[in-house]
Amino acid sequence: MEKPREKNNRLEVWIAVLIALVSLTTALAAWRTTSLGSKAGDLIYQGLLDAVKRQAAANEDWRKAYEEAGYTRDYLITLDGLIVQGNSNDPASQEHAAQLRTYLLPGMKSLATPLGTDPSYLTPDGWLNVQKRFDELEAQSSDLSSLDPLASFSLADTYYAEQRWLVVGTILIAVSLFWLGLSQLSHLRSRILILVLGVIVYGIGLVWSLGVEAVFFILRGGVL
Amino acid sequence: MNKPGISNPERGKTFVLVLILLNTVLVAAVSALQVDATIRANQANRDSQYYAIQATGSLIQAGARSDYDLNTYSKWLTDTQEALVAEYSAMQRQAANDQQGFEALTLESQIYQARADRTRSLSVLMTDPAYAPASDQVSPNITAYLSDLHSYSLELVQKQNDTSGAYHRWNNKSDSYVAILTVLAVAFFLLGVAQMAQPGVRLLFSSFAFGVISIGILWTLILLIF
Repeated sequence: MEKPREKNNRLEVWIAVLIALVSLTTALAAWRTTSLGSKAGDLIYQGLLDAVKRQAAANEDWRKAYEEAGYTRDYLITLDGLIVQGNSNDPASQEHAAQLRTYLLPGMKSLATPLGTDPSYLTPDGWLNVQKRFDELEAQSSDLSSLDPLASFSLADTYYAEQRWLVVGTILIAVSLFWLGLSQLSHLRSRILILVLGVIVYGIGLVWSLGVEAVFFILRGGVL
Repeated sequence: MNKPGISNPERGKTFVLVLILLNTVLVAAVSALQVDATIRANQANRDSQYYAIQATGSLIQAGARSDYDLNTYSKWLTDTQEALVAEYSAMQRQAANDQQGFEALTLESQIYQARADRTRSLSVLMTDPAYAPASDQVSPNITAYLSDLHSYSLELVQKQNDTSGAYHRWNNKSDSYVAILTVLAVAFFLLGVAQMAQPGVRLLFSSFAFGVISIGILWTLILLIF
């Protein structure tokens, strides 16, 4: 029959092996939890950069759209004045209007294109549809305007959500490590009880962590 | 069985073990809360920065729009005044029997009026019922126009302020949770010493640890409630 001393030594070896295994798992879980936070942080950083780029492009497009609206307004005002001048009975005024139409108006018209030349740019109220022109300019600068910071933020949120759940598993594994350490220091009777407790907590933590990984792996469409 | 007067060296160890278990659970819970608070702080900080970027864009757009709208209104005012002055001058030339001057100034007045009419049709301030003057004698409601123009920017700034406030709140909570974890680490140390010490001293260290754990629990509850 095995002596209690030998039995105790063998148990100590097993506990030491378990402690090594759980330490490794704790390190791995802690690394994964931290790396999820880093991934989320990187995505937020990327999203904010995209937001700045996209907003800068939008700012420039708004400036350009209203600049064109200003040119268009000036063109339409000048055109209406010249129509009245051209319809006058005074030959000198008619000649003046004709000259202005020939030499001034084409330049103004080119600056006012397309807002001043395409009737679809007028709203039902008669104002210039600057929003429509802005949308077109945005479509033209699609490399910047198509940047989607909210998509980055949304993906970052999934990493944060995973980190939230994974930290629970990491804590359980860390707690189990503590109990295993305590069992190594305890006497035989309480040692087994504490050891069983540690192994159970470790099992729960491990299953939890793997489950969280699997769920979020599927939710992100196969991305870790 | 121990003889009376001889102390049991294992006395109080179960109590210490229970305290260790309690402290472990508390540390686990506070760690989870700390991570959650940090995540919420990061998200609020991100939202705050995103709203700030959007608010600057909104202000730039509002600036470009108001520049266009007020310039259009200004041009309408100028052309209308020019038309009126030319018309008045034409009448004076007619009174002075200057037919050529009368016709020239009448034409000038008509040209300015045509320009003013077109400008009016393009002006939001002159045609939008929300801002347009009720008669030619009063000005458009510039105050309402500017209020509407900047309402979205103000909304974004309000959101930015709210999320910035949330960031500071969660960040402070996160810092406090770290402090609680430090306090609980001290409790672990005290419990470790208690476990190794003689029964009399064990009780003393256990009491200290219990006090420290109580502070940790109380602090955590305060953070959770407020």
